[in-house]
Amino acid sequence: MDQPVIEMLHITKRFSKVVANDDVSLSIRKGEVVALLGENGAGKSTIMKILYGLYRADEGVIKVDGVPHRIGSSRDAIRFGISMIQQNFSLVPAHTVTENIILGNCRGIVNYGQKEREISALAKTYGFDVPAGERVRNLTVGAQQKVEILKALYLNARVLIMDEPTAVLTPQETDRLMEFVRQYVQKGNSVVFITHKMREVMDVSTRIVIMRGGRICGTVKKEDADEAVLSRMMIGHSLEHLTNPVGGAGENPVGFSVRNLAIRRKNEPPLLENISFDVHKGEIIGFAGVSGNGQQELCEAICGARPVTEGSVVLDGRDITHLTVRQHIESGIGYVVSDRLRYGMVMNMSIAENLLLKESYGPKWKKHGLLDRKKLNRYAAEVIRRYSVKASDPSVPCWSLSGGNQQKIVVAREIETGKKMILFDQPTRGLDLGALHYVHKTILEEKAKGKCILLVSTDLSEIFTLSDRIVVLYRGKIAGIHRPSEVDAEKIGLLMSGYRKGEGKR
Amino acid sequence: MTQKTRAAEAFLSTFLAIAAGLVLSFAFLPFMGINPLSSFGLLFSSMFSDRYTIGTIFVKAAPLILTALSFAIAYRASLFNIGAQGQFYMGAICAVAVTLGLQNRIPAFLVIFLAGLAGSLGGGAVGALIGFLKAKYHANEFLVSMMSTYVIAELMDYLLRTFLREKAKDYLQTDSIDPSTWLPVIVGKTSVHLGVAFAVAAALLVWVLLFKTQVGFRIRAVGLNAEAARMCGIRPETQCILTLFISGFLAGFAGFIEVNGMQHMLITGLDADVGSYGIGIAILGSANPIGILFASVLFGALKTGGTTLGQVSNVPASIIDLMEGFVMIFVLISYFVRHKISLSRTKRLLGKAVKHG
Amino acid sequence: MVKLLANALFMSTPLILGACGEVVAERTGMMVTAVEGIFLFGAWGGFVGAYLTKSLSVGFLAAIACGVLVALLYAVTTIHMQQNQVVMGTAVNILMTGICEFFYRVIFGTPLEPLTVKPLPVLSVPLLSGIPVLGTILFRQNLITYLTWVLVPAVLFLLYRTSLGLTLRSTGENPEAVDVAGISVSRVRLLAVLFAGILGGIAGAYYSIGDIGMYTTSIISGRGWIAFAICFLGNWNPLLALGAGVVFGTFDAIGVYVKSLGSGFFPSELFTALPYLLTILLTVVRRRFNAPAKLGTAYVKER
Repeated sequence: MDQPVIEMLHITKRFSKVVANDDVSLSIRKGEVVALLGENGAGKSTIMKILYGLYRADEGVIKVDGVPHRIGSSRDAIRFGISMIQQNFSLVPAHTVTENIILGNCRGIVNYGQKEREISALAKTYGFDVPAGERVRNLTVGAQQKVEILKALYLNARVLIMDEPTAVLTPQETDRLMEFVRQYVQKGNSVVFITHKMREVMDVSTRIVIMRGGRICGTVKKEDADEAVLSRMMIGHSLEHLTNPVGGAGENPVGFSVRNLAIRRKNEPPLLENISFDVHKGEIIGFAGVSGNGQQELCEAICGARPVTEGSVVLDGRDITHLTVRQHIESGIGYVVSDRLRYGMVMNMSIAENLLLKESYGPKWKKHGLLDRKKLNRYAAEVIRRYSVKASDPSVPCWSLSGGNQQKIVVAREIETGKKMILFDQPTRGLDLGALHYVHKTILEEKAKGKCILLVSTDLSEIFTLSDRIVVLYRGKIAGIHRPSEVDAEKIGLLMSGYRKGEGKR
Repeated sequence: MTQKTRAAEAFLSTFLAIAAGLVLSFAFLPFMGINPLSSFGLLFSSMFSDRYTIGTIFVKAAPLILTALSFAIAYRASLFNIGAQGQFYMGAICAVAVTLGLQNRIPAFLVIFLAGLAGSLGGGAVGALIGFLKAKYHANEFLVSMMSTYVIAELMDYLLRTFLREKAKDYLQTDSIDPSTWLPVIVGKTSVHLGVAFAVAAALLVWVLLFKTQVGFRIRAVGLNAEAARMCGIRPETQCILTLFISGFLAGFAGFIEVNGMQHMLITGLDADVGSYGIGIAILGSANPIGILFASVLFGALKTGGTTLGQVSNVPASIIDLMEGFVMIFVLISYFVRHKISLSRTKRLLGKAVKHG
Repeated sequence: MVKLLANALFMSTPLILGACGEVVAERTGMMVTAVEGIFLFGAWGGFVGAYLTKSLSVGFLAAIACGVLVALLYAVTTIHMQQNQVVMGTAVNILMTGICEFFYRVIFGTPLEPLTVKPLPVLSVPLLSGIPVLGTILFRQNLITYLTWVLVPAVLFLLYRTSLGLTLRSTGENPEAVDVAGISVSRVRLLAVLFAGILGGIAGAYYSIGDIGMYTTSIISGRGWIAFAICFLGNWNPLLALGAGVVFGTFDAIGVYVKSLGSGFFPSELFTALPYLLTILLTVVRRRFNAPAKLGTAYVKER
């Protein structure tokens, strides 16, 4: 009777450089919500991808309803009722919700009208407000996630695996997701949450499995769970506590200010409208808001990568609004981008060359007209030493570094470039606790040097810990500016979702 | 896995791929009743038959080096300049026009210099135009450069039929240029002319540019990740125009050395495959100027040997195209094979480490 | 004038065929840069088949086989070996130039007079071809042209109204979504490229045995690339590709007409260059706003 729906026994999986799963055994029962907790690289995504047929285990057995089966592809997994929703949605943005859901699940001539009606009905059953005929790229991230869930439901999934689902949601959307999860498991289905965020985990899971270094290092029942204990199990040791002298910087002179900044487009809502704020020297301004509300555009505008329709950006008394990116860099602005892979580094180039990227003009690295490689390598070696980057020498390509070490290089470069101001855009996304701690420490050190710091993050706890003041962006406008002592996460969450001051929850 | 062993592996696999390509090319000769083995042997012996023929290898290699460099430098910036043939023609047109116009009127070395400059700038202008269209209008440079070759070829034929036509009006070609404007022969008893030296120098210069200068660094950065480069203050649009200008400049220069150094006139269909062969050589040389030098000499040798082979036996000259095609494909496949082998090797080592660790 | 338009439709057929194949392939993310080689080998195979068996049908079947072979080589190296599509396409095109030339010699030697075949006959549609003006333009074409006109809406239907079409389109936009749905991305792409090979082979053969009745080395001269461009310009939509193809065919026809008027100092070369110039112009003017998102990129995954 109490036979688990899924049993994974002694699973081992190796990739070209690392053992991702080392003799992992895991079971999932009906009506259970299992939280798979662990840092990045702990192996939690891997083990679930094996269950979903995206990877094939090198050793071990998978049993469904007590019977061993071979799950060679996602098709097999789907047949057994296993569905997975990954961090990067596997949706086709240019296609409609209906087209996305029926992909691979229809034959011959398709009657789109009928399918749309089917899907609308399904969405209604679960209370999802998703228009079946809308193109996915026009939906909010939260709605897109619902499309992914609908896809699983359409295929009658009874085991739903969700990989970091709350990373892209507002607090209110997270609540709604948890509501859905409760509803879903009440019907006898099971859910596996892969996450490294403990708060949501504690909310809804029945069992917590902690992984570290490819192995399971503990299983805890919800009743017995304690945040501090879980944290230590995840990383294996305690982290030093960081002190942040918050608020004092208000007395310092203003180092950077933005006035009436707007980026408007023809026939479309503006990307930014009426943005005005000041940053004092030695102050950290935290920008909270769900991705896609103008944060990226604001950062790009400040750095000169995006043309501005109206308004001004002033650094240390100098109007830099319409200068080129290069001129911004030379003015002393550092920008730690959110998407390191696409905008931050050239992965195929070495550490030394990546450090050179923002300084390739001018005489600093030139000798007799040619690149002074020796000088560059010496500098790179110094960076590696000072920031404890795990790399053998400056000439290794950056793709060979771990995410945390790559971020160290980017941060090192931007600290050097940003002599007056640094923007940190999602600086700890995808990093494990150790690297995250390092980045926070660095941010506080730079603050102490009197630089203006802008921090953009979807991680509210990070915003609250580090910011002197919090600015909430919603649909390109400022929804509010507050001190962390004056507000709580719920209030910020409301602002992030567009509720204005004075309005309550609906 | 040391650097040395990796390099040795690379060399070996490339060598095997080339050998496989050559063997396959000759494998079809029995259908014509020709003995492949003896033809193969004949190919090599004719390549090295005498001093003059060996010299021809380098003469044929020279324009190939330049067109290969042309494709390679654009490739490094993630741009595809398929129009080297057209830029070559443009260079040839400019060079011959300047030479015919100025010969015997001003000192010869000046004529040569101006012809070289005109040819290179002519090719460079075409390249820069393609770059501009891409930078400003996001026009696909692959298609535009491809089409531009056909357009310039027609232009060349038109000019050869009208303004540049030889006095005798028998063929679609110009008059021969005055011997004073010929690039001098630098190796006695061969046809190896100064242009060959220029081509080799160009390869070395491009190597220095790409890997030892800030300009080259920016070109490579834009090629590897244009968006990241933009965020770091490097404008991909500027790099695009600059790179394609250099690319066209090199191909145009090839046109000059072929006119003033080898052919001594402009004739329709001159070196009609130098562009596409250049692409193949660039690929073989992994878009690296040093590799290109070696690959160009290889193809120069195959071309020379193939032509002679065609003259002394019944083997058709088109076997050269076969050889080039097969060799290219096999070398590309060898990259894949090597990658797979290295992957499985690392996996095996990892498995062993886990067992013992 | 009427003759010109009829000729325009005649000359647009292979371009439309090639473009349709290219559209289907590019919708799955594969830029078939070997299209020139496919056309060439198709032209060669079509001629060889037709000449040796004195049958045009066999010729076209041989052309299909040839087109598929080239497409297969290209597909395996770019899909399964993940080589760069542009580089591989160029390599294949160079190889095919050599193979066609070489094997023409192997089979036919060096004949003193060019070998010929009777080209495609005109098939007048009964009744409809009698309509003044329109009848001559539309209904006095050959079989392949008629089939092409049927093919275009068929491909359109396939793409937008069938599950296979949905899969094809999704593969080009986000192959990961297709993979996760349990469909083999490699297989879809392979089939799409082979389809382009079939159509490209027929298109190539159209030039040799459909039009002039013989094979020469310069018979294709970039026409494959024009079909490639038409796919772009037609926004990856078969119907628009048809339109673009007709435009190009018209220019081709005008060029032929002007050339037949003889040439003096008048640049008849301009008219030969016209299709290529037009391609450049249109490439500049039109932006790729509807390109399949993952066009030209290989899909790699760790297993």
